[in-house]
Amino acid sequence: MSTETPQRTWLSRIRSRLFRNGGTILAVETLLFYLFLYIPIAVLISLSFNDSRYALVWQGFTTKWYTDLLAGQTVARVDPDAAFTALVHSVEIALVTVVVSTIFGTMLAFALDRYEFPGKRLFTGLVYMPIIIPSIVMGISLLLFFNIVGMALGLHTAVIGHIAFDISFVAIVVLARLQSFNHTLEEAAKDLGANELETLRYITLPLLKPGIVAGALLAFAMSFDDFVVTFFIIGNQNTLPIFFFSMVRQGITPGVNVVAALIIVVTMSVVAVAQWFEGPIW
Amino acid sequence: MAGETPTREQEVETQSGLLRQLRGNRWTGLAVNILPSMFWLITFFLIPLAVMFYYSFGQRGAFGEVLIGPEYLGLQQYSLFFIPDGASIVDTVWYTIAWVINSILPFTIHLAAGEPTPYVQLTLKSIGFGVVATVLSFVIGYPVAYYVGRLAPEEYQDLLLVLIILPFWASFLVRIYAIQILLSGNSVLTNALGLLPFVTPGQSLMNSRLAVMVGLVYIWIPFMILPVYASLEEIDFTLREAAMDLGANRFQAFRRVVFPLSMPGVIAGSLLVFIPSTGAYVIPDLLGGTDSQMIGNFIAEQFGAAGNWPLGAAGSFTLMGIMLVAIAVYQRYGSADLV
Repeated sequence: MSTETPQRTWLSRIRSRLFRNGGTILAVETLLFYLFLYIPIAVLISLSFNDSRYALVWQGFTTKWYTDLLAGQTVARVDPDAAFTALVHSVEIALVTVVVSTIFGTMLAFALDRYEFPGKRLFTGLVYMPIIIPSIVMGISLLLFFNIVGMALGLHTAVIGHIAFDISFVAIVVLARLQSFNHTLEEAAKDLGANELETLRYITLPLLKPGIVAGALLAFAMSFDDFVVTFFIIGNQNTLPIFFFSMVRQGITPGVNVVAALIIVVTMSVVAVAQWFEGPIW
Repeated sequence: MAGETPTREQEVETQSGLLRQLRGNRWTGLAVNILPSMFWLITFFLIPLAVMFYYSFGQRGAFGEVLIGPEYLGLQQYSLFFIPDGASIVDTVWYTIAWVINSILPFTIHLAAGEPTPYVQLTLKSIGFGVVATVLSFVIGYPVAYYVGRLAPEEYQDLLLVLIILPFWASFLVRIYAIQILLSGNSVLTNALGLLPFVTPGQSLMNSRLAVMVGLVYIWIPFMILPVYASLEEIDFTLREAAMDLGANRFQAFRRVVFPLSMPGVIAGSLLVFIPSTGAYVIPDLLGGTDSQMIGNFIAEQFGAAGNWPLGAAGSFTLMGIMLVAIAVYQRYGSADLV
């Protein structure tokens, strides 16, 4: 710092002044960021109450799109029956996926936490891979695979694909919980006469519950929200994201706005409630 | 276990010798716990990838069928992908470097006799999108993480954090649609931008590189903020005070002490933004125009309308190669654990 030229001291004085007011600047920046995050969602929800066929220019408040859609009428090419079928498919796929991947993923987390075995590093890499590789590669490779083994595409192939990536999500969330786990509690239970199953039932699982619940919720969200993988391996069935994608491609309409607003409000409230009961998820 | 728990003696009696041996064996627990997931990941993840890898060495027949017999296998798809007609490998490398230089510079200089293949141009463009999205997420996200983690009143920190994560749980497609609404012609935003000089009010910003970039940053920026927040949380801030006691000004204390200590978070966040941004498919498809399609769209097109599966497979493995390089860089400079 002894070699500082006058320009540099001048520059650093400005920087220093900037940093002295840093708190205010950062607060403003953070506020702008939250606006960036929430304005699109707010605009979307308010436009779903917009009394205009063109869906973008505000004309006045109306709930007629909601009442029409909920009464089963088609609003601007959006067929509520098709949307409902797609929703049911999404829920069915997500429920089966969550049950299987939560059980398998939790067991996998145990295996990775409690055992040393040859090739463990390599296998751990395999567990992380479904999260890392681009979903388009995963979706298309599954499509090729189902083609070769001659499996007809449908809801079941979608479930298979979803489990393949959800196992990893559950395993990683539960593993994080296991690594901060106090093993002496299990030893104490065994000293007091519990066998393995009792220890698992009364000590290990209750302590792991937050991790498992978080893993299951994440798995549900990932499965329910997945578009790319599902798109390639579901054949001609629809899930809600696929139905929504085809609607969005046809343009912005009041009907799509209503479906979008309903999806976003319902999912965000469910998560907010879950956060309230379970503490921070993830 | 319906109601009555057997006593230990009964339990031991009912166990046959073999079962007891199995329970005693230290590998049994491992096998039971690991086999279901291992089966699933190998059958429905690894093998499909291997199939795709195999396809990438195949050829396309005259009628769009896939030829993958032993006599057709070879690197032809990769050479079609990477090497322009009649160019040597050295030429290819030089064309590529020249093309990158030309696309970064604001003016055109004539450096090379040819251009890289359109596929390579598309790949480089996707990497460019990924890099710009990462840099933007860092520039916007780092101050937010700093504010939320350090400056915000303690009682609001959790709330602010939850508010960053909350949209992540809301549907991805719906959020992209929300961006589409904002960027469309005559929307609230485009009309408001008309108040600025030189901007036509209500002009659509959709179907452009800008729209794709907004979408990428909007969707992935929480993945930058969360790791940076986590690593800022772990920093012992008395070090910063020590630096300032020793004569550093605020900027120097930040640049020399706080920022280096938060690097693990920055690197993890960069990887978490770069990988999905480069491999994006839906965002360029919905928000981008013809000039802003990315390699993900190319892959989907080869497996769809264009019907050239081997070329699409070669594209997929090129994309996977980029991811592997990114992860290798991460493991070299970041901390050892992912996520």
